[in-house]
Amino acid sequence: MSAPSDIKIATKDFRVFQGKEAALRGITLDIPAHRILGIIGPSGSGKTTFLRALNRLNDLVPDTHVEGQMLLDGRDIYHPAFDVVSLRKRVGMLFALPVALPMSIYENVVYGPRLSGIRKRARLDEIVESSLKAAFLWDEVKDRLPRSALQLSGGQQQRLCLARVLAMEELEVILLDEPCSGLDPISTAKIEDALTVLKERYTIILVTNNTKQAARVADDTAFFLMGEMVEYGLTEKIFTVPDDKRTNEYVTGRFG
Amino acid sequence: MRVSPKITQVLAVTVLGAATILTVAVLVFVIVFVLVKGLPWVDWEFLFSYPQDMGKSGGIFPTLVGTFLLPLLAIAIALPLGLGTAVYLTEYTRETQLTRTLRFGTDCLAGIPSIIFGLFGFIFFVVKLKMGWCLLSGALTLAIMVLPTIIRTSEEAIRAVPNAYREVSFSLGATRWETVLKVVLPNALPGIVTGVILSIGRSIGETAAVIFTAGSSLRMPMSVFDSVRTMSVHFYILAREGISNENAYATAAVLIISVLLVNLAAYTMMHRFIAKRSK
Repeated sequence: MSAPSDIKIATKDFRVFQGKEAALRGITLDIPAHRILGIIGPSGSGKTTFLRALNRLNDLVPDTHVEGQMLLDGRDIYHPAFDVVSLRKRVGMLFALPVALPMSIYENVVYGPRLSGIRKRARLDEIVESSLKAAFLWDEVKDRLPRSALQLSGGQQQRLCLARVLAMEELEVILLDEPCSGLDPISTAKIEDALTVLKERYTIILVTNNTKQAARVADDTAFFLMGEMVEYGLTEKIFTVPDDKRTNEYVTGRFG
Repeated sequence: MRVSPKITQVLAVTVLGAATILTVAVLVFVIVFVLVKGLPWVDWEFLFSYPQDMGKSGGIFPTLVGTFLLPLLAIAIALPLGLGTAVYLTEYTRETQLTRTLRFGTDCLAGIPSIIFGLFGFIFFVVKLKMGWCLLSGALTLAIMVLPTIIRTSEEAIRAVPNAYREVSFSLGATRWETVLKVVLPNALPGIVTGVILSIGRSIGETAAVIFTAGSSLRMPMSVFDSVRTMSVHFYILAREGISNENAYATAAVLIISVLLVNLAAYTMMHRFIAKRSK
């Protein structure tokens, strides 16, 4: 596929345990930069666990531990010396349900930049405008930035969440956890349009229950099942001539 | 024998309704009684002049000041401690036997009669630390007394903040402390304020613990090391020593109105804050 130098994230026999139970049973996967990777699979297949492991949000769940390696630009993010705060600024996450923080639209977008110590109003204004534009939301909210973000519709809130992730200057990877599960088709299309533009600057990993969405926007697709990765390859191949029988059954809708 | 559902329904409404009416009636009666007996004696002169002849005549100005200073100082001491404890218990520790024991301990403390705190304050602050009867001794004692309330109400309020907010904050590269400051506390504020209001109410009305620790001087306090008399204590002394019934009721009326005003102010401030955030 890509040359090794283009590998953004590499996992080697990566496992996640919740208590004694293994949620991921050894995932080995190279994720190339500047492409969209779609991860599909039925509920409980471990795809969300994998995604949350990428910015170490699983750390917050008690009794969780990991084995194996997960490398970002060749450095193990689970190494004790790896700074988890800087990791989360480089690897942003968009959740399944849009969670706008109960503050103004403006403050939502600059949440990350403020944490990084950006204080100048002009600079923050600039970030707000460019992030909201990149998330295709600017035109709808530019006149009401000081208003509460909670007044936006679900679709707008999800794009606000995307803008909030894009506002982080250190951002390199965007993780999306079924970002369109609660959205109408038009809002979904807007998010998908944004993603295809954004992959030029970022590496994008999209977990979705909607196989059609993966087929539409993902360059590569991985199929997860019961904590294992069954198959991984170019999206066209996974959806037309997959190697594994289970992949074929899943993408054609015969189970899952 | 089976009673028809209709009758039990009527019975339930009657009994529950009567209980409510009785409760409200007693409350209203107490308040109206005090106000009717006390308000005729209250005027600006009474509020802002010094007591004469042990309180037999004259006003209540120093006790008015003491009544506001003492709870204010107590809250200023108890809030950082209590809120800090609540944040630590909820955000920085996992639920263990230790946190459960701590919680049980605070619940027990909340039920201890105030005079016990007063006695402790007297022995420890007034005598042992040689602070004497003063504003600070009283405030420290009241602070210890209201700590359990502040801790528990803050804890509940912090727990009620949706976990999704914390996850979002962490995922944007916030540390735990930044998340507490920027997301958890602002959203827990209404609950925290409720705890503070309850505590102020308890402090303003407290008598036993205050007599033991802040004393009952009728002079205007000039520093935290001066003794003060609060309105509750003033009322108690006037009534008990039979100094002046009129002035006792007038003081009680002012006390009731003060508590109402404090609550009103706190709720208004809180609603302004909430409205500002959701506009």
